Amino acid sequence: MFGEKTSKIFPMTLLADKKTDKTESNEIVLKGIPSSPGMANGRAFVIMPELIIIPNILISVDNVPAEISRLETGLFMMIGEIQSALDKVKGDSQNISAILETNLLILNDEFFLDSIKERIKKGYTAESAVVQEYDEQIKFFKNSKDGILQERSFELEHLKDKLLATIRKKITNHEIPENSIIVAQSITPTDVVHFKELKVIGIITEAGGIASHSSMLARSFGIPAVIGVRDAHNLIQNNFDLIIDGYAGLITISPSDDFINSFKEKKSKEEDRKRELGELIKLNSETEDGIQIKLSANIDSPDDVKEAVLVGCEGIGLVRTENLVMSLKRFPDEEEQYKWYKEIADRAYPNPVVLRAFDIGSDKYLEGLPHIEQNPALGFRGIRFLLHREDIFANQLRAFLRASANKNLKIMLPMISSLNEIEHSKILLEKCKKELSDKNVPYDMKIPLGIMIETPSAALLADKFADAVDFFSIGTNDLTQYTLAVDRTNEFVTELYDTFHPSVLKLIKNVVDSAKWKKIPVSICGELAGHAAATGFLVGIGIDELSVPPGMLLELKKRIRELNYKRAKKKAREIINSNSSAELMKLLEII
Amino acid sequence: MIEQNVIVRNRAGLHTRPAAALVKLAAKFKSEIYLIRDGFAINAKSIIGVMTLAAEQGCELVLKIDGNDEETAVKELTELFESGFGEI
Repeated sequence: MFGEKTSKIFPMTLLADKKTDKTESNEIVLKGIPSSPGMANGRAFVIMPELIIIPNILISVDNVPAEISRLETGLFMMIGEIQSALDKVKGDSQNISAILETNLLILNDEFFLDSIKERIKKGYTAESAVVQEYDEQIKFFKNSKDGILQERSFELEHLKDKLLATIRKKITNHEIPENSIIVAQSITPTDVVHFKELKVIGIITEAGGIASHSSMLARSFGIPAVIGVRDAHNLIQNNFDLIIDGYAGLITISPSDDFINSFKEKKSKEEDRKRELGELIKLNSETEDGIQIKLSANIDSPDDVKEAVLVGCEGIGLVRTENLVMSLKRFPDEEEQYKWYKEIADRAYPNPVVLRAFDIGSDKYLEGLPHIEQNPALGFRGIRFLLHREDIFANQLRAFLRASANKNLKIMLPMISSLNEIEHSKILLEKCKKELSDKNVPYDMKIPLGIMIETPSAALLADKFADAVDFFSIGTNDLTQYTLAVDRTNEFVTELYDTFHPSVLKLIKNVVDSAKWKKIPVSICGELAGHAAATGFLVGIGIDELSVPPGMLLELKKRIRELNYKRAKKKAREIINSNSSAELMKLLEII
Repeated sequence: MIEQNVIVRNRAGLHTRPAAALVKLAAKFKSEIYLIRDGFAINAKSIIGVMTLAAEQGCELVLKIDGNDEETAVKELTELFESGFGEI
């Protein structure tokens, strides 16, 4: 498919001559996996993979010591190179050092090394022995059911290539100009450290691996990266003008003037926004006295992840998957869902993402749903609908599981009011897991399963439910309307809708206490989480996590940083014990 | 020779970083240290070996240690497993 388009690509020099020509036919967009957020515009620097053909030529016994010495020299040089990269990142985070140290451990693994030497002693060259031994391990890792281990196979592959090049003394000291966008088949973590030194502004690779160490390094250095771009080093030539979008995973080759302008606008907006948000992004979300409150974002689509990442969220606390249904006006099949969830998981990686199963009811007009119900809020919605339509539910669960191979997804069930709803869902989930296992499809076998607490029933039975699930998330909007028996869409009673009602706060407190007792995490994803007056109370009762729309996240962080946990705790107790709504409001304003 | 059952407690399992921590600790001891999963034994001083185990959360392994410092080794290695490699 890409082959046909190749002919359309022109180097920027040609494009420059055509500046007056308004035909925008040269622009080509390639899609990959967004692996490190950010955007950049610059010239391509293509690193061609070295074609190393290793014939399995047998050597004579006399040559064995010489081959072993070539292997050891190669290793020595490569270890030196990684060591020097390690010295360069000393000041940076521990994560970065740990990644490079793991590469060192692999190269220094004497058992692994002995196996390679054994092969040389059997009469193979150093290169052949390296290829044979590495390939055996790589094959083992690739065949593993463990997603992370599969990713490690890429890493071994990169290490192998580098080692072979080093043994052949083809050390590639590229002259990379500043502000280049690197295009390569694959890169090692050590390469990423060097790229940072060389002021590289973007990285594009053909190899995949969102959880790979190279991807993690690019993220820590803030270098935008797109990976898994098929045939990139053939489609892109040196000096091509590129725009890399590390949020969406898009690469635009020879962008039109219009596109460049809109890019510049976006980029400057992004920089303004970062400047405006300033230091807050980098600061921890913790109270004055050091209590950590995790801040996550509520989102509706893969595109929303960008804003969430930009404001430095620590995870996605709620994905309203029913938005996919609403946008398609039908139920998506498993494959459509898988792609959507996977994209969200990849864009947020390594941060966790909570996917809420379709929370859909008869207020939405869809095939398979009753068209009219007297009272949709109390009707056939959420888990009730899902358990009735097991076909739809199972499709969604399988899609969730398939997208979970990198272990950063969690599943959440909506509208739970009875334990048997949890149990039925679990049986179905296990059935879906088994189907995937039977087909050798990788997924996170320990994917956490949590529930929304949004009915008074769930809030009151939280201690029982806590034994059955891995986490809670409190949906304060529905919890309020069900507790107070107030339809929030009914204008005659909206005045009675009060999230700060003592009964609602008491239920929330009960849920948090139960979760603490049973040692499972509890978060709030409803509107109350972002409400300025509620922050102190929620922190005070011991909430672990608040999930809000991305735009509200930093203000919330600011408020948390100004709070004193001990004082908030005391105040929260007074609020819970207050006698009247008026007294309560007064207390809330003080916090 | 000592044999001791250990359980992988951290959620992500015995992936790269815990594997590295384990190998580094094992390398400190003179004893021979093996990890056994379902009869499949690997040398705990080899990072490739430990990664090959693909030990996920909840997985039960047997530590088999033989040497002069086996007592200290079994104690420190068991503690490392119990602490979930510091990332529970």
